[in-house]
Amino acid sequence: MKRTLAILTANPLSLLGLVLVFVVVFSAVFADFIAPFPEHAGAVVDFANFNQPPQWPYIFGTDLVGRDLFTRVIYAYRISLILGIVVLAIAVPIGVSIGLVAGYLGGRTEYVLMRLTDVFLSVPPLVLAMSIMGVLKPTLANGMLAVTVMWWPWYTRLVYNITRGEKEEGYVLAAEVIGASRLHIIFREILPNCVPAIVTKMTLDMGFVILIASSLSFLGLGVQPPTPDLGSMVADGAKYLPDSWWLTIFPGLAILVAVFGFNLIGDALRDILGAEQ
Amino acid sequence: MSIPTLDIQDLKLGFKGYTGYAEVLHGISLSVAPGERVALVGESGSGKSVTARIVLGLLQELRTARISGSVRFEGKELDRLTKRERHALRGRAMSMIFQDPTSSLNPVFRIGEQFHDVLRRADAKITREAALERAASILAEVSVRDADRVLNAFPFQLSGGLNQRVMIAMALANEPALLIADEPGTALDVTVQAQTLQLMRKLVEEHHTAVLFISHNLGVVREFADRVYVIYKGRIVEQGPTRAVFEGPRHPYTRALMAAVPRLTGGGIPDIEENSPDFGAPIEIHPDEVQT
Repeated sequence: MKRTLAILTANPLSLLGLVLVFVVVFSAVFADFIAPFPEHAGAVVDFANFNQPPQWPYIFGTDLVGRDLFTRVIYAYRISLILGIVVLAIAVPIGVSIGLVAGYLGGRTEYVLMRLTDVFLSVPPLVLAMSIMGVLKPTLANGMLAVTVMWWPWYTRLVYNITRGEKEEGYVLAAEVIGASRLHIIFREILPNCVPAIVTKMTLDMGFVILIASSLSFLGLGVQPPTPDLGSMVADGAKYLPDSWWLTIFPGLAILVAVFGFNLIGDALRDILGAEQ
Repeated sequence: MSIPTLDIQDLKLGFKGYTGYAEVLHGISLSVAPGERVALVGESGSGKSVTARIVLGLLQELRTARISGSVRFEGKELDRLTKRERHALRGRAMSMIFQDPTSSLNPVFRIGEQFHDVLRRADAKITREAALERAASILAEVSVRDADRVLNAFPFQLSGGLNQRVMIAMALANEPALLIADEPGTALDVTVQAQTLQLMRKLVEEHHTAVLFISHNLGVVREFADRVYVIYKGRIVEQGPTRAVFEGPRHPYTRALMAAVPRLTGGGIPDIEENSPDFGAPIEIHPDEVQT
């Protein structure tokens, strides 16, 4: 862990990623203290200051009802991160377990599980999420559900492939020989060998989940106003381009910073953990 | 005579594939007495390793495998045991050593951790401390002096020879009645292999463990085994005490096998036919040496 951190900080790109992610996480966690107008995260109207370009104290400007954009971006980060964490916390265990079981047991189990996975993979992710959101009410919880449903098959694929390789390793046979149970072999012998790949993918995916969630709300299928969300902020602002450019540019940049940061760290982790094997 | 530790009678194994049924073992019989070291010798593909896997019950679970014949372990017919009973034997009453020691250990756990897992098979409630202590004492028996360092290391941090000794120690940790060694140390260089085999021999003698030793290395077999079975294409072609077989091979295949051993004096390897009708000759059995 210490070594990983040392390598991360040594490389300028991954260091940048670390800084970006730190900024995002920090502002999401301490939003209440950082945001200049915490009450602007909700339904507040201040027509005296509506649609102002960036100026003190509104460093990102204000939106069409006079709310501070900076405050709203910070609170949107909080929503995005919660969504990303919840989605991965549900999708990863499900996807990983299915991949492990399919890869290790093989035969009919593998056939059923992997074909099921293929079905999910064959539908374009955004379309799948959109159809789910179209049927259900567009709330944060349903948004998480939609993204989760489209996300787990990727982990199944990843872990399935690793498991297929690890299954042939001597230590798996050795464990079978001394009478370890299937559960023990799957979760205590093979799973630990998949962890580096899973962690790397999770870091990369944090960015993508935020991006997908933003895409959904950009299309009006995500979190509903007045809850601040980066995607819907971009969508609202796009109508007033190029005059009120700050409405679109700042939330857009915010998405970029988060996705870019997580991807840089993910790339660096892939190099570090890949080199260890 | 006491009950043999392992007694295989007329064991047949076939696989059902897409193209039909392929028989791999055509009815082999062999037995290992308690504390006896028995070698199963043959070229690759002759059926050595599948025999070992049947004994451990690893092939029975395969849907495509068709097995007939009898395999008795300490007088108990393995087929008649319930799954649970058979499972209980593995890792406790019988254990196994593999060709490549390094890949047989899980790369993400420390050796000590893996010892703990092994020892838990016999005593589910054994504490970590007790397991490490026990592991250190077994490691001392295989001449590992700095047991603490080894137990704290990951498998890839240790040499192949050291890993092999760790494997032997692990295999014998639960005092099994039968140890199956499937070409142990083939992945190691010759001197290390000889060393570890010597250690293994010392250990199985002290613990009175029966060994089924699977190998294609005649030199090693001659050093190690009390009795030899020569297997060719799924049939035992010759069996007998090691000395008798090596000094007076009777079966054409055994003779060819002996002739193929490279010698220090040179002369190269003689031309041996890949397959000769002679090799199909019936089994040659040397009488057991009379105990005096």
